[in-house]
Amino acid sequence: MKISDQIIMCLQNLFRRKVRTLLTITGVIIGTCAIVVMISLGVGMQASQDAMLAQMGDLTIIDVNNYSGRTSTGETLKLDDAALRTIQAMDHVEVVTPFYNPSAWGAFTLVSGNGDRYQLDMYQVVGVYPEALEKLGYTLKSGNFLSSTQRDTIEILMGYYTPYDFRDTRKKRNNTVQYWMSDGEDMPDPYVDIEKDKMTLRINNTEEGGNTIDVKVRGTGILEMDSSKGYETGYGVFISVTQLKELEAKYNKLNGIKTDPNSDTGYTSVKVKVTDMKYVEEVQNAIKEMGYDTYSMEDIRKPMEEQARQTQMTLGGLGAISMLVAALSIANTMVMSIYERTREIGVMKVLGCMVSNIRSVFLMEAGTIGFLGGVVGIIFSYIISYIINVFGTGLSLGGGYYYAGGEMVKTSIIPIWLVLLSLLFSTLIGLISGFYPANRAVKISALEAIKNE
Amino acid sequence: MDTIIKVENLRKVYRLGTEKVIALANINLDIHKGEICCILGTSGSGKSTLLNMLAGLEKPTRGHVYLGKHDIAQMNEKQLAKLRQRHIGFIFQSYNLLPALTALENVGMPLLFRGVSKHKRNKQAAEMLRRVGLEKRMKHRPTQMSGGQQQRVGIARAFVCKPEIVFADEPTGNLDSKTTKEVMNIMVEICRQYQMTLVLVTHDQEIASYADRIITLIDGEVVSDVKNHSILDSVQPISEFHEALYQQEQEENAAAEVVGQDQTLPQESAKDPVAPSPEELPEEEVQALETQQTKQTTGGVLQ
Repeated sequence: MKISDQIIMCLQNLFRRKVRTLLTITGVIIGTCAIVVMISLGVGMQASQDAMLAQMGDLTIIDVNNYSGRTSTGETLKLDDAALRTIQAMDHVEVVTPFYNPSAWGAFTLVSGNGDRYQLDMYQVVGVYPEALEKLGYTLKSGNFLSSTQRDTIEILMGYYTPYDFRDTRKKRNNTVQYWMSDGEDMPDPYVDIEKDKMTLRINNTEEGGNTIDVKVRGTGILEMDSSKGYETGYGVFISVTQLKELEAKYNKLNGIKTDPNSDTGYTSVKVKVTDMKYVEEVQNAIKEMGYDTYSMEDIRKPMEEQARQTQMTLGGLGAISMLVAALSIANTMVMSIYERTREIGVMKVLGCMVSNIRSVFLMEAGTIGFLGGVVGIIFSYIISYIINVFGTGLSLGGGYYYAGGEMVKTSIIPIWLVLLSLLFSTLIGLISGFYPANRAVKISALEAIKNE
Repeated sequence: MDTIIKVENLRKVYRLGTEKVIALANINLDIHKGEICCILGTSGSGKSTLLNMLAGLEKPTRGHVYLGKHDIAQMNEKQLAKLRQRHIGFIFQSYNLLPALTALENVGMPLLFRGVSKHKRNKQAAEMLRRVGLEKRMKHRPTQMSGGQQQRVGIARAFVCKPEIVFADEPTGNLDSKTTKEVMNIMVEICRQYQMTLVLVTHDQEIASYADRIITLIDGEVVSDVKNHSILDSVQPISEFHEALYQQEQEENAAAEVVGQDQTLPQESAKDPVAPSPEELPEEEVQALETQQTKQTTGGVLQ
């Protein structure tokens, strides 16, 4: 028998018993709806959690610290450039950079304008690998990132609000530009245009009136503020970590500060960006293995996700019960149909119909019931999902939308994988339910079936 | 060479609780190509069991049934299905048409199982329906037709694949005498036209008169196996008449073997050009004669 003929025969058989077919399909529709809608609520819940977490920080960035400076066996542990290279070489690591803060407070001041009129104390200076910022996902408001090759001039990149920290030394009061009342387009200009105006970095002397050293610097650009990336994007000054260390060495020399290279345990803070959220745990564990302390949003996300998954499973399980009932009803329908068609099946066998054809026609019928139920069930699920999202305020789930940091997340989300999975599932349920009846049909004795009554 | 169905020591015993019922005791038969063969018997004689066994619908307790060179007792379900699909047609007493399908679709069914395309199927089925005189009923469903018409659909269905063997189980059992004649004539005509072998099971001697050969069963045993010439007065199992003929034919046969001549008798060949038969003979003699005859075959696969 040709496949096309089998399909036609299967559809004819289903169509012959319209009401029963329809009722059975309805069972599958209800089952599919239950599963899809329930899981969609779980998905919605998780999506809102993720949105909330993303607001709190970048989910793909791991903070690495070296608090103890010792390995578990007690040896000295350094978080230095060599260690960073090891981390960089790991799978799925996009970029690694130290976030180096010099130990001296107020060591550097930026000066600009006639007679050093405008001055900025660099309290939030951060040394980074110059090429890393862009990869960490930082965005520019204007200008460029630090260039990764140039080494002669010292380059600085500022946070969004940092330029407003320039003081006008000629004023006694209100000597900074008042910006906090404004926002976005209306922001006033700071005293210094850091990308155009000439600037000098002054290495301070701790003693009043002592010698200072001036170094020429160039401002490359200003970052967009991104609270999830940290306050540095707003108020920090970024410098290449090598240049910053050189500056620090000069400051130490100027002020006669001695450092002990043996007590140095390297960077205190390092950021690691992972290519995708799903690798965070893996990379984080690998870094922990090296002996460092790590922290990422994954630490919060993981238990939350676990909980969301459990809720999803519970909801899906409730839906699955109605699917089980639907499966039984498919099996019942098919068994009934076999009783009715015993003679017909017997005749078909006597006329030379292959047993495999009979089986596949029966399986197809059951599968078609499952598939059609799945398709219609998904359509209904979309409608129900829409209703929940728009009018679902009465639900105990707390309204149609979750609010996560101003971003609206739907209560019920039906992702494409859920559609495909439920379609596959309902068809599979149909096939499984049809398996026993189909085998029964195959076993019908042709002789018994055609016996004259 | 022309034997298409060969039955060897066939025995079938049913168990009903602790009791054994011997449906077929020990049957030996050769049915030849192109023969229209009637298995005659009362109910309970084992005739239907024999037919079922010939068609591979039941497994024998002992013995063999060969269709062509295939021993059907040794074949599995799949091979049997293939065999029925290719070489066997079936006609039932209660027609067994599928009620949901039209006459045309019912007739096309065996072709459907063979994987013939719908267009070709309908063409052949329509041709066959025309052959049985139902060209105006093609789109009708079984419930819209009389018994005779339904059986003609059944006949068209059995013959549509041009099988080598057609089995008919009481094909006119549910019909009145007028339609019986129509139906029998159609069946015999088509069989003759395509040189098909027809094995007919009936309890009705009138029906048996359409056959070339009549095998009578009583209590699971062949009691007579005769060539038909005037059936109504010949069907008297193991009569003295048979005995006399047996003697006579044995002598003739011995002579024929020496000379190697065709033993066709003129009065028979006029009636039946395809399967020329001598006077009625006991089984062994008929077969001895048949083997010497050179009949044209349609070149069926079973051969």
